[in-house]
Amino acid sequence: MARILCAWEYGADLGHVRRLVPVAEALRDLGHEVSIAFRDSAHLEAARSRGFDAYVAPLLRIPPFVNPAPANFSDVLLNIGFADLHSISGALRAWRSLLELLGTQLIVADYAPTAMVAGRLAGTRMVTIGTGFALPPPTDPLPALRPWAPLEEGVLRAHDDRLVRTIREAIGPAGAGRAPVRARDIFAADAHLLCTFPELDPFAPRDTGEYVGPQGDASSGEDLRWQGTAAHRIFAYLKPRNERFDAVVAALHALDAECIVAAPGLGHERASALSGGGVRVVSAPVNLDPLLAEASLCITHAGPGVAARALAAGVPMALLPQHLEQFLIARRIEQSGAASVVRPDTRQPDFHAWLASLLADASLREGARRVAEAHRGHSFGEATRRAAERISQVALA
Amino acid sequence: MGRIAFAWELGAEFGHAVACNEIARKLRGRGHQVAFIFRELHQIDFLADCAADEIFQAPVSLVEGKGLENPASLADILVGCGYDSPQHLAGILGGWIAWLRRWKPDMLVSDFSPTALLAASVLGVRRVNYGNGFGIPPRMSPLPAFRFDEPVPPERLARSDAHALASVNGALARFGVAPLPMLAQVFASDEDFLATFPELDSYGSRPRTGYWGPRYSVDQGVATRWPAGAGKRVAVYVKRNLAQMDSLIEVLAGSTHRVAAFIPELEPQRVARLRSASRIVSERPMRLGPLLPGCDVFVSHGGNVCVGTLMAGVPQLVFPSQYEQYITARRVEQLGAGLWLQPQSTAAEIRAAMERVLYDPSYALNARAYARRYPAYSPAEAQRRVMKRIEELLAEPPRHRALPRLDGAPVLPRTPS
Repeated sequence: MARILCAWEYGADLGHVRRLVPVAEALRDLGHEVSIAFRDSAHLEAARSRGFDAYVAPLLRIPPFVNPAPANFSDVLLNIGFADLHSISGALRAWRSLLELLGTQLIVADYAPTAMVAGRLAGTRMVTIGTGFALPPPTDPLPALRPWAPLEEGVLRAHDDRLVRTIREAIGPAGAGRAPVRARDIFAADAHLLCTFPELDPFAPRDTGEYVGPQGDASSGEDLRWQGTAAHRIFAYLKPRNERFDAVVAALHALDAECIVAAPGLGHERASALSGGGVRVVSAPVNLDPLLAEASLCITHAGPGVAARALAAGVPMALLPQHLEQFLIARRIEQSGAASVVRPDTRQPDFHAWLASLLADASLREGARRVAEAHRGHSFGEATRRAAERISQVALA
Repeated sequence: MGRIAFAWELGAEFGHAVACNEIARKLRGRGHQVAFIFRELHQIDFLADCAADEIFQAPVSLVEGKGLENPASLADILVGCGYDSPQHLAGILGGWIAWLRRWKPDMLVSDFSPTALLAASVLGVRRVNYGNGFGIPPRMSPLPAFRFDEPVPPERLARSDAHALASVNGALARFGVAPLPMLAQVFASDEDFLATFPELDSYGSRPRTGYWGPRYSVDQGVATRWPAGAGKRVAVYVKRNLAQMDSLIEVLAGSTHRVAAFIPELEPQRVARLRSASRIVSERPMRLGPLLPGCDVFVSHGGNVCVGTLMAGVPQLVFPSQYEQYITARRVEQLGAGLWLQPQSTAAEIRAAMERVLYDPSYALNARAYARRYPAYSPAEAQRRVMKRIEELLAEPPRHRALPRLDGAPVLPRTPS
């Protein structure tokens, strides 16, 4: 049995915790000694309360200036602190101390690039886990994140070079033999587990990586049921702070459809104020599967969790991505024929007309059905166990 | 030999890392094992000679200070630093407990590390406070206000104290530990190394507490001499994000003063404007011993180095960047040993204040008079006493037992079985 450290550093979504803690539990069930390291202490209790020793991952200083439209993943890392020589140097020392203290033999890295550099230097086995965005394809230089946008010659290479130069300087001559030479080396691991469908992977098709499929339990939320016999049933899962939230809810009121809007964080008062007619707005997470099973359309931001459930249920999607990762996912679903996307940078569209046209779109329904058919039999519950077994295999190889 | 952990959880100044490193170096030289568990890891690179065998990340909140305006007491600060809810604090406390149980220190040296102290008290680990006073509050309930220049309603103090205490006790309950009767008990220790003197203590004079004297060093850092010439000698220890940095550079560069400045990571363009044959700009801390005897004014934010160099009779010009430093700045002003400047001060105001401190002899006289109140003090002797006391405590059994369990069961074991 092995000593395994499950590390999560970046990405603000709760999805990381909901993926990694169950995987850690499954690994523990397989007999491994598992510890947790999260960058955000606000989530440590979620792991500790499940019986894990939970540490804070070494922190990088937050840079004063960031590029709002990073060109490739090296640029993303430079944005989150990897341009800071002294921070990297200190964080790598702290990771080394932690890996030695815990006697870590394998790191499960969920968007944990600093842990991966430290693991590389320590010669620790590594498995990455995630929904794809944090694992760029291992090209040299790392690929553009916005392939549709023109880039100046050499920009990608320049970001890669700056990233690698900073990391190598922080490592110093003593570790030069194991230090990354190319940006892609930072992401090298013994296995890459993609907890998603290829149709949701921003970088699919790719050569490296194993699709274990989306995982998790979506039944912890409020249990709602469709009530009426309206021709259409629209399920929306939206962030109440999104600037398009009010316009979407207004459009739903004007549609001839039964609508359920889950907007966690909205607050009960506003939720009831926005409810009425065929529209029910709730401010809590909801149990997704029973609603999606009979929904005609799912409106969401294209976060990988909800999108995977809708995809598996064969529900066409109306997607309102809020940032690059969601946009890349949305674009992939659109390519598969199961969704229509409103780009984050387009002006406010006529949501009523858009949604009405999607409800009437037979080819969209057919596209969604086709993708769901391809993944029939996928068990969200089993995916966690499969991921853990694969990690265990790497640990014991 | 002992295993000694230096924890730095709150407060964002270089002085914390430097002060811990000085004691750590002495302890390590005597054969002890030393770990640093620090909030800011980038500071390690600036230490002249890092004395720790191992370095760890301190568990801290990522949203420090969110929603927190003008803290009036340490309870306010705690609420803004993870003590907002039992859930949040339990995660941070759990991080400390997990680490302490793994690394197994014989002693925790807390530099403004309340949650580390709480974790040590859960486990029954020896612990001491080491700091300039701000992070070592008088053990009163509610914790007293440090804000002194505007009224602080007593109910506000009580409310914050109760909020933080509820988080503490809610978190402790998750570990099966009985509640604390008062928030101040978080800071319970085997010894408080109050590294200041009453005149500069953030909480005013504390008659029943011993003062160990300021913590700073004169024998570490890059050997530096004053540039040749006849100008006044101005030492500068500030951070590059000083609000008035460009004005300060303008004042110094437009003067005939000799300058020795340590400004970590100062942008190259600014270095170019400041540096000259008579103005040294150092990327590394400078050795203060050779600089202080001829120094005419010490320019700083009001941290350890201000309180320390005042002991060498050097008058001060202070640019406080937060309230703790502002308290020190006001105390220095009250002593007549220096002046301080507002964040929005102009180059003309900075120049005028610097000229006053340099050319009005009362500032130097008052600074020397203050230093003479403590003739037995020297920075090296203060460090030696702290180090010696730590060794004494290590030789004794822990004074505090682990906190009692809620269910009356035996206390948590100190090490994993």
